[in-house]
Amino acid sequence: MATIINIPEAKAIQVNNLEFTYNGAPEPSLIDITMPIAKNSVTALIGPSGCGKTTLLRAFNRMHDLYPGHTYNKGEILFEGRNIIDPKEDLINLRIKIGMIFQKPTAFPMSIFDNVAYGLRLQGTKNKTELNDRVEKALKDAAIWKETADRLKDDANGLSGGQQQRLCIARAIAVEPDVLLFDEPTSALDPISTQGIERLVTELKEKMTIIIVTHNMQQAARVSDYTGFMYLGELIELGKTEEMFVTPKERLTNEYITGKFG
Amino acid sequence: MTMLFDKIFAHSTRIIAITVLLVVAAIFTILFQESLLSIQSNGFAFLSDTKWAPNLEKFGALPSIMGSIISTFLAMILAIPVAIGVAIFLSEIAYERLKAPIGISIELLAAIPSVVYGMWGLFYFVPIVRDIFGGMGIGMLTAGIVLSIMILPFMAAVTRDAMNTTPDILKESAYALGATKWNVVKDVIIPYAKAGIIGSLILALGRAIGETMAVTFVMGNVHKISMDITQPATSIPVTLANEFTEADSDLYYSSLFELALILLVISFVIIAVAKSYFLRRTRRTS
Ligand SMILES: Nc1ncnc2c1ncn2[C@@H]1O[C@H](COP(=O)(O)OP(=O)(O)OP(=O)(O)O)[C@@H](O)[C@H]1O
Ligand SMILES: [Mg+2]
Repeated sequence: MATIINIPEAKAIQVNNLEFTYNGAPEPSLIDITMPIAKNSVTALIGPSGCGKTTLLRAFNRMHDLYPGHTYNKGEILFEGRNIIDPKEDLINLRIKIGMIFQKPTAFPMSIFDNVAYGLRLQGTKNKTELNDRVEKALKDAAIWKETADRLKDDANGLSGGQQQRLCIARAIAVEPDVLLFDEPTSALDPISTQGIERLVTELKEKMTIIIVTHNMQQAARVSDYTGFMYLGELIELGKTEEMFVTPKERLTNEYITGKFG
Repeated sequence: MTMLFDKIFAHSTRIIAITVLLVVAAIFTILFQESLLSIQSNGFAFLSDTKWAPNLEKFGALPSIMGSIISTFLAMILAIPVAIGVAIFLSEIAYERLKAPIGISIELLAAIPSVVYGMWGLFYFVPIVRDIFGGMGIGMLTAGIVLSIMILPFMAAVTRDAMNTTPDILKESAYALGATKWNVVKDVIIPYAKAGIIGSLILALGRAIGETMAVTFVMGNVHKISMDITQPATSIPVTLANEFTEADSDLYYSSLFELALILLVISFVIIAVAKSYFLRRTRRTS
């Protein structure tokens, strides 16, 4: 049985008994996941490769629905008091509220400004000054304003990998989501850029709830308030980060964080 | 050993590349030599005269030139939106189960010999165009339609391939911001695949402008410039295909060669301009 601690804070998301199967897969990739996500905090997801971290993360913004045949077999994900796994959920609206940063930087083939303004324009913001202000604010919040202020019209693909990843963060936070999902956001970056992103993550939690998948346990320890350990599609343990890395309750968690497997 | 192979490989590819250039140069030279008589006696008026009367030794190339340009232009205008629509459907909208069968049929269509399109156009489209637009049914409009159908499969297939190179993660990033499918196609896939799409359009254009068999049947071979695209007309390849066997004087013969030279120059210029204009802009934005 899994050890899931009770969290004292308000919950941004509550997952209950979620089970998910990929198209054509013989076994579910998520098994009976029950997990609270604390509001305005950072929750890290760790676990060996293939354990289902990305799968769980992509359930929160229903990314799986882009491809036919994947099914949420059982359970629910509660967000704002409703079950967002419901087929009637408005996915456009959901994805505006629950943003996502990917493993690799994904600058669109357009200018730096247009990249950051993209989500705002999708929502119908046309006013020039409002766009300018919000783009500038997002770039500042993503700590990339200094490098880009004088080249907003330039092609975003001219930025370095680390800069592009921060640009993607700026693009995601420009629409002011309530939750931001990060899937190994620093796995393609150098140590300095990684530090920058980690600092950002801890700063952003004042404004939003963050869930971050990482392979790097030091990173989980540095940035997160809560950590969930997954193994073979199950959530084995969810605890306060400082406790979990020192005194894990589950044997499997202990073996994983002490490097006995993984 | 490997060093030696590398050297042999490098040299042989270089020789092949140079051979291609030599062939192009040779074609140019022969066309130019054969055209010399026409260039000398017809002069620049060849390009602007509208009268083509071989029995009177009057050679004006403008109707053929205009015919080539207008029928190609029509074909492109008709084919581009459909080809891009089909490509979007195949890469983004169709169910997985449909993608392969439709995709393969389109590739098969691209392999149909152009003479088949020409015959089909003559027997099928000429009556339709005649019924709808009046006139004789043969002419620039029918040629444009047949050409557009001929280049469409190729255009659609290459455009689809270009669109399919867009990384999933890039599309997902747009969806993750609340984009609709249409937003993703317009803002991510088309800009990303722009270079490939334009490349396919340029290749199709090159095919259309030089196309002979598909249009010979439906053009009419009438050396007249008419504002009415339903009237019979001609284009450079059509004139060449129809008249080489009849060229009974040296000047007639040479004039036809000059037409061929003009066609080559037009193709080169259009392709060079299109390439430098669009691809330069693409490189800046992607
Ligand atoms: N599109 C898919 N179709 C079928 N099975 C999939 C698909 N994507 C992932 N899986 C399977 O689901 C399981 C969980 O994969 P997931 O990508 O969530 O793992 P992960 O924990 O993110 O791993 P990593 O740390 O390597 O990123 C794996 O067994 C994987 O093989
Ligand atoms: Mg993963």
